[in-house]
Amino acid sequence: MPETMPVTITVNGETRRREVEPRMLLVEFLREELRLTGTHIGCDTSFCGACTVLLDGAPVKSCTLLAAQADGAEALTVEALEKDGELHPLQQAFSEHHGLQCGYCTPGMIMSSLALLAENPDPDAKAIRKALAGNVCRCTGYQNIIKAVQAAAGALRG
Amino acid sequence: MKFSGEFKAEQPREAVFALLTDPERFARFLPGFHSVEMKSATKALIRARVGIGKIGGTATTELSLEQADKPRRAEYTGRGKLMQGAYLMRTSFELEEDGAGARVVWQGETQLTGKILSLAGGGIKGYAEKQINKLIASLQQALAATPAPEKPAAEGWFGRILRGVASAGAAPAVVETDAVKSEALEAARANARQRVNAVLEAPRREAKPRRKEDQRLIKGKGLFVDDFSPAGLLHLGITRSPYAHARIARIDTSRAEALPGVVCALTGKEVMEQTEPFMQIGAGPPQNITDYALATDKATFSGDPVAAVVAESAAIAQDAAQLVEVEYEPLPPVLDAAEALKDQIIVHDEAGTNATFQGVYEYGAVEQAFADAAHVVKIDKLFFHRFSSTPLETSACVATWDQRDQIDLLANTIMTVPLALMAPALRVSMDQIRLRTHDIGGAFGNKINNYPYLTLACLASRKAGGAPVKWVETRAESMLAGGHGSERTYLDTEVALSAEGVITAIRSRHIDDIGAYPRYEPLGCAIWSQVLPAAYKLRNIRVDFNQVTTNKGPCAPNRGYSRLPHIWFMERVIDICGHELGIPADEMRLKNYIPEFPYETPNGCVYDSGDFPAMLAKAKALVGWDAWKEKQREARQQGRLMGLGIGTTLDSGTNNWGQARYVNPHAPFSGNSTAATVKLDLDGTVVVSLGSFPQGQGHETTTAQVVGDALGVAPDFIHVKTGFDSLNDSHTGQSGTYASQFVVSGLSAAHGAAVKLKAEMTRLACFALQAEEAELEFGVGDQGPQISVKGDPSRALNYWALANFINSNSASLPEELRDLSLNARHVYMPPFKVPDLEKKIGNLTLTYALQLHIAVVELDPDTYQTRILDYAIVDDCGKVINKMIVEGQVHGAAAHGIGAALMEDISYDEEGNAISGSFTDYAPLTIEAMPDLKCANQESPSPFTFHGAKGMGEGGGAPLHALCAALQDALHEQGIIIRTSHNSAMSLYDRFAAGEASEAKGVRVESR
Repeated sequence: MPETMPVTITVNGETRRREVEPRMLLVEFLREELRLTGTHIGCDTSFCGACTVLLDGAPVKSCTLLAAQADGAEALTVEALEKDGELHPLQQAFSEHHGLQCGYCTPGMIMSSLALLAENPDPDAKAIRKALAGNVCRCTGYQNIIKAVQAAAGALRG
Repeated sequence: MKFSGEFKAEQPREAVFALLTDPERFARFLPGFHSVEMKSATKALIRARVGIGKIGGTATTELSLEQADKPRRAEYTGRGKLMQGAYLMRTSFELEEDGAGARVVWQGETQLTGKILSLAGGGIKGYAEKQINKLIASLQQALAATPAPEKPAAEGWFGRILRGVASAGAAPAVVETDAVKSEALEAARANARQRVNAVLEAPRREAKPRRKEDQRLIKGKGLFVDDFSPAGLLHLGITRSPYAHARIARIDTSRAEALPGVVCALTGKEVMEQTEPFMQIGAGPPQNITDYALATDKATFSGDPVAAVVAESAAIAQDAAQLVEVEYEPLPPVLDAAEALKDQIIVHDEAGTNATFQGVYEYGAVEQAFADAAHVVKIDKLFFHRFSSTPLETSACVATWDQRDQIDLLANTIMTVPLALMAPALRVSMDQIRLRTHDIGGAFGNKINNYPYLTLACLASRKAGGAPVKWVETRAESMLAGGHGSERTYLDTEVALSAEGVITAIRSRHIDDIGAYPRYEPLGCAIWSQVLPAAYKLRNIRVDFNQVTTNKGPCAPNRGYSRLPHIWFMERVIDICGHELGIPADEMRLKNYIPEFPYETPNGCVYDSGDFPAMLAKAKALVGWDAWKEKQREARQQGRLMGLGIGTTLDSGTNNWGQARYVNPHAPFSGNSTAATVKLDLDGTVVVSLGSFPQGQGHETTTAQVVGDALGVAPDFIHVKTGFDSLNDSHTGQSGTYASQFVVSGLSAAHGAAVKLKAEMTRLACFALQAEEAELEFGVGDQGPQISVKGDPSRALNYWALANFINSNSASLPEELRDLSLNARHVYMPPFKVPDLEKKIGNLTLTYALQLHIAVVELDPDTYQTRILDYAIVDDCGKVINKMIVEGQVHGAAAHGIGAALMEDISYDEEGNAISGSFTDYAPLTIEAMPDLKCANQESPSPFTFHGAKGMGEGGGAPLHALCAALQDALHEQGIIIRTSHNSAMSLYDRFAAGEASEAKGVRVESR
């Protein structure tokens, strides 16, 4: 058996401890160990952002971090957004403005958008483009994603 | 990249030599110079600001004086790393006496590797040249008779920030200890967490998703293939050829099999024994191509699978695949279509030729039209490049071959044709394979050809004792072998025109390069002719169409499959002719557009409805054509390169499979068909099963709309099953999500089944409610969807009660109603005929959606990057069933076209290695490069569909046409002809900045 090491990560508010191979990636920890399959793998090289999660409040590409590097950190995945069966304003806005088609990039897009709105509650299109520059969508042509993030920002400001 | 030049230095040669050979002094002339640190007399570390567009940084260069041959020659090398790339620069100076001064002859060379190449859309070459020019200019200035003061090592604002020095330059930088750093970091993290949590905890309001699919997808609860992990799951890893063309001398899997966690391995030899080669579609030589799930005796492209390993984890499978030892005998590859046609190097020896199709498509009186022409425009060569829509989810499957010889195959394939190819290869009946899909992360046609890998996974499961085996293609594998859109070369094109500029005839020779294996090909050799004259009214056309295999990645249908490269050709033709004859772009189109619809093309296709001139007028108004023309005039006066371009395109949808007989007269295909079932389930739920393989197009949503409409209930009451499942029995041999057809074939089948179900429900309700058919109405009551007697609410039956008669209470039914099933299956067959194979005439597609794009661009004078200043789209897909979904498809197709036109390119080096092996190299279009789109709609209902709608998912690649035309408009005065579909900054630099000779433009006009 390959060597393992203990890794403890607080994921969506719950502390999760696993013995994993040192080479296990954070995305594998989430998908394989915790069965949180909302976080996707699209390119393996940090380009596409389908694997974006928040680690200690910052968006990271979980395909490029080892699980061991996230030891002791707090991670948030797309599964954290829905509360008691009700959608988060970002989720609602993505659907309302048709900011998704196949849905494969969507969890990463939503997590990057969440990090943006935490820093900037009223981003203009330029700020949204900058924040989502590391998230590739092959379906929507991005037009509706920009609309969705702006609408979510509006809803969050109330 | 090589640069060279010379200049005159006023200072004596000795002085020039002294300066040039002192690295410390020399370094200060480098553009963006920040600081220098001497490592030895000849080596220095230099920090300099480098940047291009929005991307920039400070790079450290190791500068080394390689040669100092006093007083004649000095040579430097500089190497460094920057932004995930590396560069190597070499500069040499030859000094000659020139009077009292010296003549300096310099040469510069820059080699770049890695991501740096794709920066700024590849505009690095123009940047590099500019930097070198700056260096030379500074040197020249410094070597003037009166030496100018050399630049002090003072840094700009950027350097100051880097060094933490306040702008006054007095305040010392704070010295950060590790403890201070980590405390500050933790505080920053806590703040970030707090801000994110505040957004996360925002109040929810009750709302529901717009599409049925969104319910799961926005929550991360979609189920893509890789999300399935059944008990006992094993994983497949693949060993691939590093050579484009090589004989496989020996394969040894023993080291791989010895790795702990490895279950078994497979080689081509075993696959050859256990399977039949995949059926080939093309007639003649391609019938002899032996295509197996693994290469057998020869690898035919870089990335060709040669062995497979099954292991307990994906990581072990990957490790083990690397341990398979393969001895290759490399062979020279053939990488060019025209070369491949010569058959000097043959990809598939057993076929005896690389040609997979050769045929002439000729209509009208071509020779006569040329004899009568006022102008003949000759275009030597045009080229449509290789790219891929690269769905974000790569190909994947979970295959389980159980003890009963039943195969469960969960995969992200997109039509039933692969099933028909796999079953005979695996020596099983089609019914032994249960093919199912769930959510699919995009496909754009590419996934049609993943069946060799699905076949391999099935074999692997059988060998592993029936355990489920998962295969997930990595992105690198996908870029090498996941199905590229094919290349097309257009040679010796001649265009006949009237004196007024009306095109009367075209003749040309086309060669498709499809890479190593035909698979879905040579169907593309017929499919392009669905749009033979594109948007134009000419009646005389001759195309000598050829297709070849080469030692490059195998191709697959890619959004706009085969029609897009043809329309691009026609769009280049009309655009080049307009420019060469001096006819404005809009007028040129109006002279040549098809005047009225329906329109029968010279090869018998019927364009169903539309109005190109009206679309052009709308698009011009949308973009502000006249105002942009004025701005263009001003820009030209200032020497700026601005252009406006029109792209007119057709998205032909719902194909007639009879065209397959153009490439193989024995192919038993014609027409088209797909099935759907609509049933009242045991509990009265309306359940719809489709034969489609949706990948983001929202089939569940639009189907519920159409079936709900037919039954008179809201879409919420209709349950549409997710994905395809061959057990649903809702498919035919032509079912699938391809050829822009769901809105026609899929919805027609669902509508037909709903109408059948409604008829059964009506008969049943007449009996149960003791009423006449005319008295009944469908609607929703207190107990859900129901049928009631008009004006008498007490006489109503809900769907459960109706379903119960058939499913649980049949003895109460009269004999004459016992033929009912409340499970209606409908097969939709469009009204096609078998085409005339001799003349190649027939209606090849049912509907034609139209798109017209206008792009306004300006070429950046530094980077040669194309900036899109404005972009307008007018779309006409007949009756719009769901506006939101249609707009989404329009945007998405536009993005694919823009990415392909300006950024995305799959190219190979001379040995056949793919250069774009990752997203980082391929650079799929990102949100920052995507312009805002101005969109408008026009609605010309199709007379051939029940709802007037037309398939529109592929979009016809209009941005490629519009952007090439806009670039042409910007560059025509410079003597540049846009001859390729891919116009990156690098390629424009090569042609434009490097100064292309006007005779090399490859276009001639002969007028009489």
